[in-house]
Amino acid sequence: MEFRDYYKVLGVERAAGADQIKTAYRRLARKYHPDVSKEPNAEARFKEMQEAYEVLKDPQKRAAYDQLGADWKAGEQFRPPPDWGSGFEFSGGAARPGGARRGAGRAGRSRAGAAEDGAFHEQDFSDFFSSLFGGGTPFATAGRGAGRDHHARVGIDLEEAYRGTTRTLELRRPEVKPDGSVQLRTHTVRVTIPAGVAEGQLIRLAGQGEPATGAGQAGDLYLEVHIQPHRLFQLEGRDVTLTFPVAPWEAALGASVTVPTLGGTVEMHIPAGAQSGQKLRLRGRGLPGQPAGDQYVQLKVVLPPANSPQAKALYEEMRSKLNFDPRANLSG
Amino acid sequence: MVRVTHRLEAHVLDEGDWIAATEICQLCRLDLGAVRELAELGVVAAREIPPDQWQIPATALPRLRVVGRLMHDLGVNVSGAALALELLEARRELERRIRTLERLASDH
Repeated sequence: MEFRDYYKVLGVERAAGADQIKTAYRRLARKYHPDVSKEPNAEARFKEMQEAYEVLKDPQKRAAYDQLGADWKAGEQFRPPPDWGSGFEFSGGAARPGGARRGAGRAGRSRAGAAEDGAFHEQDFSDFFSSLFGGGTPFATAGRGAGRDHHARVGIDLEEAYRGTTRTLELRRPEVKPDGSVQLRTHTVRVTIPAGVAEGQLIRLAGQGEPATGAGQAGDLYLEVHIQPHRLFQLEGRDVTLTFPVAPWEAALGASVTVPTLGGTVEMHIPAGAQSGQKLRLRGRGLPGQPAGDQYVQLKVVLPPANSPQAKALYEEMRSKLNFDPRANLSG
Repeated sequence: MVRVTHRLEAHVLDEGDWIAATEICQLCRLDLGAVRELAELGVVAAREIPPDQWQIPATALPRLRVVGRLMHDLGVNVSGAALALELLEARRELERRIRTLERLASDH
């Protein structure tokens, strides 16, 4: 694994005080926080910073990290020394609390669980961090008693939201074997996402959160649905909007046209005198629901190019015969 | 590693579903006081179930999770996070409208 220079990540000197470290973290967090940042790779940068801050804000972890010495360079091949962690207070059990690893998306197979809830979790951190502060070291996190709820994100296509779909999730949990050792068990579950699920909607899977370590109930798993942007349709709530190109004569004279919708093509009448930007509604053609959403067809008049003698002649004829001033409203 | 496969019953939460505030707190890393303050600020709806239970609409969970992340990661207080949330949502809406206008204006 590669060495990580946590001081470099936060842009502070090795001698920096706790306040300087906190200020540097806050400043960078404002810039790279995934909820607010438009920077490329903001999420990856933010995780790096969280990992660095998790170590440097904790005097004990920082002291242990500093013990590795100042000669290491970021990216250098690294292995923890054999006596790693000796001399530091033992703070808990060896196993990490329940949950699973990050990853949800359109591939149809996802890992979901604790690391998905957007909070700080050691599961999100690098192998370098895990080798120093993860399970089996004096710094490992103690197990919790309660079965907590977990949260994960699931990405689906707009078509899947319209028709409904299924997702396979892998939920990884530690289980204590009769001999007292901990075994990681993977539960593969198939979840049906019903037709008409909207952006940001939640799906609850009862009892699929963190298992209870005592007699209590297991937590629930909440899946938050995210619908991927679509090539043609824009989604707003349950309504979809389609930008629909039309010829000038279709807009001027009216026309019957074939329009794509999520449920297949439909015939639509464009009224005579329609303008570019005008929206026509196809009732109930958005996402299913009570009530179902609508599809809006926003007209976009596209001019034919004047790239032939015949086309030029037609434009010339319009210029000479039509009394049309598109700038009439600009004059005082 | 042991592998087990089974099918799960999923419950889709919509406008009619409410979640206990204590559960919301744990999912969003917020304390009960912060959730109440957010309800007072009008960021989320809340209802009281006597004698002392509070519930929040399930649909508010994504917004509250953003508030929780902003408070925890950036060190802002409740009203600051609520303001940031509203500005982020306004920005997202403006970006959506820009995309719509760009589609309309772009060459086809």
